[in-house]
Amino acid sequence: MTAGGDLPERVLVVWCPGWPEVGQETGPAGDDAGPDDGAAPDAGQRAPEFGQVVSVVEGFCPRVEVLRPGACAIGVRGPARYFGGEGALAAKVIDAVAGGGVACQVGIADGLFAARLAAGAARSARRGRDARPAPTASPVSTAHSGPATLVAPGRAREFLAPFPVSVLDGPGGADLAALLPRLGIRTLGEFASLAATDVVNRFGVPGVIAHRLARGLDPRPLAPRPPAADLSVSAEFDPPAGQAEPVVFAAKALAQRMHDGLAAAGLACVRVQVQAVWEDGRQLTRLWRHDGLLSALAVAERVRWQLAAWQPGQPHPSPPPSPPVAGKPPAVQIPAPRGAAERTTDGYPGGIALLRLIPDQLVRDRGRQLGLWGDAVVTDRVARAAVRVQAMLGHDAVTRPVPAGGRSPDEQVTLVPYGDGSDRMLPPGGPWPGRIPPPSPATVYPSPLPARIADGSGAAVAVSGRGLVSAPPARMSADGAPWLAVTAWAGPWPVTERWWHPGAARRRARFQLVTEDGAAWLVAVQEGSWLIEARYD
Amino acid sequence: MARPTPLPRWRHDEGPVPDAGMLPVLPALRGLLPGGLRRGTVVAVGGWGLLCLAAAAGASAAGAWCAAVGLPQLGAAAAAEAGLDPGRLLLVPDPGVHWPQVVASLLDGCELVLLRPPGRPSAQVRTRLAAALRRCGGVLVAAGGWEGAQARLFVTRQEWAGIGTGHGRLRARRVQVVADGRGGAARSRMRWLWLPGPDGSVSAADQLTIPAPDMRDTG
Repeated sequence: MTAGGDLPERVLVVWCPGWPEVGQETGPAGDDAGPDDGAAPDAGQRAPEFGQVVSVVEGFCPRVEVLRPGACAIGVRGPARYFGGEGALAAKVIDAVAGGGVACQVGIADGLFAARLAAGAARSARRGRDARPAPTASPVSTAHSGPATLVAPGRAREFLAPFPVSVLDGPGGADLAALLPRLGIRTLGEFASLAATDVVNRFGVPGVIAHRLARGLDPRPLAPRPPAADLSVSAEFDPPAGQAEPVVFAAKALAQRMHDGLAAAGLACVRVQVQAVWEDGRQLTRLWRHDGLLSALAVAERVRWQLAAWQPGQPHPSPPPSPPVAGKPPAVQIPAPRGAAERTTDGYPGGIALLRLIPDQLVRDRGRQLGLWGDAVVTDRVARAAVRVQAMLGHDAVTRPVPAGGRSPDEQVTLVPYGDGSDRMLPPGGPWPGRIPPPSPATVYPSPLPARIADGSGAAVAVSGRGLVSAPPARMSADGAPWLAVTAWAGPWPVTERWWHPGAARRRARFQLVTEDGAAWLVAVQEGSWLIEARYD
Repeated sequence: MARPTPLPRWRHDEGPVPDAGMLPVLPALRGLLPGGLRRGTVVAVGGWGLLCLAAAAGASAAGAWCAAVGLPQLGAAAAAEAGLDPGRLLLVPDPGVHWPQVVASLLDGCELVLLRPPGRPSAQVRTRLAAALRRCGGVLVAAGGWEGAQARLFVTRQEWAGIGTGHGRLRARRVQVVADGRGGAARSRMRWLWLPGPDGSVSAADQLTIPAPDMRDTG
C-alpha cells in the first residue's frame, strides 16, 4: 500500500475533540493545531475514560499508541486490507467509537504527524471554519458522528504545505515554530522547500526533524504501546491470615511469579509496590526500591518489614487507604474502616485478606553493572537498618547528604533519599565567589528563622542597595527570643544570585554576628527583613 | 557484637583501632574520653552543636556508619570538616513519635547514632535503648542530656577568634570542654579545644596562649 520505500507507514489517528477543552483554545498553535496541542489540565483525570475509547480501537488493531488522553493512533495497513479499504476502516472506527457515546474524528495519512493534522482538519471541515487550509484530499463525509480525512499515499507533503509552521511540535519544535515566522517562513510548504543541508546547518537536529515532518516523512516509526499486560500479582487469603508468617511465605512465591512475568517480558521494575489489605478494608501500601536487584526472598523480607512496621498499638499507621500513586492500577475499593476495638489478640484486625505486588516504573531490563569503586559501599547491615526505618516512616524519611555546589550552607548539601541515585543539581567544587568560607556552621536551619537586629538607638539595621550598613548592629533577637547584645560582627557580604530566574532569584546581604552568650550566627537581610540562616555552635 | 571484655591497654593511640570494645575518637578528644567511646553506652553532650559531631567524627573516620536522628538542622558541611564522613551518614530528620524504635532499628546497622530526643526520654525508653545498645554494641550520642549516660561532655567557655566589630570573619573558636561520667570516667576532665579550627577541624588548643596570630582579614 505504501507508495515509496521512503514513505512512512500509513497511520490512522483517532481524535476525540471533546477531550482537551482548555488545550484547544489556549494551545500555542491556537485553532490551527491538530489534536496534539497542549493537554487540558483535566486530561489526566479523564485518562481512564479514554481507556475505553482505546479498547474500542484495539478491536480494530491490537497495537494502539496513545498519543495523549483524547488521541490515539494505529497502523492502517493490516486493518484497511481486512475491512476493505481505508475509507471503510475510518467509517467503522468512527462508528465503533460513537457507539461508546464518544464523538471522534479520524485522519489517515502517511506518518503520524500528517495523520494528526488530518484528524484536526476533519474537525474544521465539520464545523465549516473558513480559516482552515483546504486539505488536498477531500473529506470523506460519512453519515456518522464525525468526518474522516484521508490523505492519499504520497500526498502528505502537499496536504501539509498550507499549514502554518506553528503546528510543529516535539523537541525543539516550539522554538522553531516561534523562530520561522520571523525569518519569513510561515507555512510548512515554504519550510519544506528549503534544502535539507541548509536546514541542518541553521537549525540543527530539531530543524532536521521538523523538516522531515514538513516533507511528509516520519522522523520516527509508530511506537505502539505493548498489549496491556497486568504484571501485578496477588494472593488472597481465605480464611484471612491472622499472622504475618503465612503472608510472608506466600509473598515469596508471589514475588517469584512477578519476577517470572517481568523476565518473560524482558522488563525490570524500578520499584515494587506492596499492598496488603485487611479483611475489614484497611490497607497498607508501600513502595520499595527494586531496580531489578531484589530476589524473591528479599521481596518477601520487605513484606515482613512492612507488616512489622504496622504495630497494632500504634495510632497513626493509617486506617484510611493510602492515596494511590499515579500510574498505578486503581486501588481496591475499600469500605470505611471500623474502630480499633475489634482488633484480635494478634494485632491484625480480622487478618490479612489480600496481598498484591505491583511492579512500578517498568523499564527494559538491561542488567546492571556495579561500579568497581567510587561509591561508598553500603553494607548489608546498614542497608537493612535504613530500609527498616523507611518501612516505618516512608521512603523520604531516611536521607544521605550529598555535597553540592552553592554559596550558603543550606545549598552546599543535597539530601537524597536512601536508595535513590544521587542526581545532584550542581556539582561541588566549583568556584563560588561569595561563598561563606569554612568553618561551616554546625546548625543550618532548614527554613531560616526570623530575627530582629537593631542598632544602638534601637532602630532596625538596614543595608542600602550599595551594600552600606545604616548603623553597626548592637542587639539581636532570634525568633522572638529576648534581645542579646552583639559583641562582634562582620559584613555585609552582599550576594545576588540567579537574578535571571524570577522564581529562584535571591538578593541578600549576609553578616556574621557573635552575641553576648558566646554564640555565633550567620544572618542575612533580604528585602528589609532579617533571617537567621545558620548558627555556629 | 557480643559484649567484649575491656581492652587490656592501648599501645598507641594513632589511627583507627580494630577494637571490638571501643569506638575511636578524634585525637583532640582522647584526653576527654580516654580510650574512645565504649560500645554499648550512651554519651551525653550538653546541647546540640559541633561537639556532638566531633564526638562522632573519630568513629566515622575509622569506617563506622553513623546515623543522625531528629536533627534536621545538622550542618553536613560542618560534619565533614570535623572529620565525619558524609558518605557513611544516614539522616532521619523527623523520626516522629516512635523515635525510640527508629533509633533501635538504626543501631542494628550503624555503630553510632546521634540523637536529639524530641522530649525528655522516659525511664522505660532509656532502658529499652540501653538494651538495644548492649545487644548491638553501638554508641548513642545524645544531644541535650541523658540520665544515666556513661560519659557527659559540656562546653563551659567559648571564645570566637577572627571577628571584630565590622571587620574580619569567624575563623576559629576556642572552647573549654569538661567531661565527666560514671565508673572509670567518673573523674572530671577539662581540655581546651579549637572547635572548630580555621579549617573546620577539631584540634587541641593551648590554654595559656591567647590566639596570637592576627586573624583580622578584610580581604
